[in-house]
This record gives sequence, C-alpha cells and structure tokens, in this order.
Amino acid sequence: MTPMIDVVFQMIIFFVCTAQLEQEQFSEFIKLPDSPNASAVAEAKDPRTITIEVDGKGKVSIARTPLTLSKLRKILNKTVADYGVHGPSIPILIRADTETRHASVKQVMDACTTAGLYKIAFVAVKDSID
Amino acid sequence: MRRNKQRRFSEAESDIELSMTPMIDVVFQLLIYFLVTFSTADVLAHLDISRPKPDAAPQQEKPPADMIRVAVLPNGYAINGREMTGIELETMLRRLANISTKQTVLVTCDDKSLHGRLIQVLDMCAENGLSKISVMSGK
Repeated sequence: MTPMIDVVFQMIIFFVCTAQLEQEQFSEFIKLPDSPNASAVAEAKDPRTITIEVDGKGKVSIARTPLTLSKLRKILNKTVADYGVHGPSIPILIRADTETRHASVKQVMDACTTAGLYKIAFVAVKDSID
Repeated sequence: MRRNKQRRFSEAESDIELSMTPMIDVVFQLLIYFLVTFSTADVLAHLDISRPKPDAAPQQEKPPADMIRVAVLPNGYAINGREMTGIELETMLRRLANISTKQTVLVTCDDKSLHGRLIQVLDMCAENGLSKISVMSGK
C-alpha cells in the first residue's frame, strides 16, 4: 500500500498546487464590450500593467479584490511612488462591463490621472462568442 | 556453531542496503514544492533603463491637426456638436477619415451612457484608421 499512497499524495499535492496557479486573476462576470476592428493587444506586455475592473454595477476591483475609490487612489499613488521616475509610464488596463455607466469608468480614469498615470486602455473582445 | 554465526553475519550485511524508493519520494516532493513556490522576479519592471528624455529630440513643429469632437450621449451621438444616430456617425467618421486619418478624435462620454457604446465609438475610429484618439472625462 505505502508506495501507492505516496504516489496518490504526490498527485493530490500536484493538482492542488496547479489549480491554485491557474486561478483566474480576473472576474468572469464582466461582460466585455466587443470591438472587432481594434488592433490586437501586443504579446509582449509590460509586467507593470495594472488591470482595473469595473463590473456591471460600477464596483471597482483589482485582481478580484473589491476596492473603494479612496483605496484605489491610495494603491495607484503608492505604486507610482514605488516605481519612482518610471512611475508615470505604468500602463493601465480598464476592464469595464459593457453595461456599466460611463460615470463609474470615469471615476477610475480620474483616479489614474490624479496619480499621474495617463497610459490608459480599455479592454474589449475582438470576436464575441455569441 | 561457526557456520551459524557466519550465516547471521551475511544476513545482517544484506539488510544494510539502502532502500531508494522513500528517498526518491521525498526528493520529488521537495522538487515539486520548490517548482511551485518559485516565482521569477519581475526583472523587466525593475530595470533602471536610462531612456532618452523626450526633450532631447527636437520637437517637430506640427501644423495644428484638425480635431473631430465626438460625444457619446445617453441616447445617441454627437459629432462636432451635431446630434446624430449611430449609423450617421459611422458614415460621418468614414467620410472624415477619407480626408485624413491623422486627425485627432476627441471622445467625450456622458456619465449616463453605457461603457459599451463608448467602446463602439472607439471601434468605429479604429475601423476607419483613426488612431489618434483621446477620451476626455468631461464634467
């Protein structure tokens, strides 16, 4: 029995670990707007990119962590300060739901610009599934 | 008696043999653990590249580009202050893009209009090759 149990434990640990790694960084409940004509995102992405999500109800989150606007501002300001001279060149991606009001997207954009970040892009899908 | 002793000795010698299987198991565990916990540092993010300052290059004096002002209203669009529907906007943008694709498109969006419609406008611009787009957050 012992070697079999060993192997099974190995497998359990392996799958637990890989499952955690594959956990989606972004919320799947956001219905992205489609934009068939926009240029595709370049593969070589800046590792500093911050993706901010705005869901259909206007709630803001980063990496599935819901944030208030003041918290978002603090995070952005801190990030810019951490990177020093290269701070203002950090790209921002806004994943906003197609049904959300522009007001909530604007708040996020305002938070970015007050932190000194001007490289803002919106995320959309090229080919929608349906 | 003597023979018996000898036999026992040889038996003990064969028992000393190290069993490899558990050791390999443990080593594999460790290997997998370290593989999983290992995360590469974001090298690129911390590179202190001395990029040329934008001021270093002589700024080219460009003639003031034409500007297309597109507004996304809660129910409709407006281009340079003139209200129109989505289809009209599309044809208008196509015509303007035919004149020149170097024009700047200034997109303003109403607070109450949906985000998807802003993206639609940006998509129309991309379709017609207008790449100088700025989104303004108007009051």
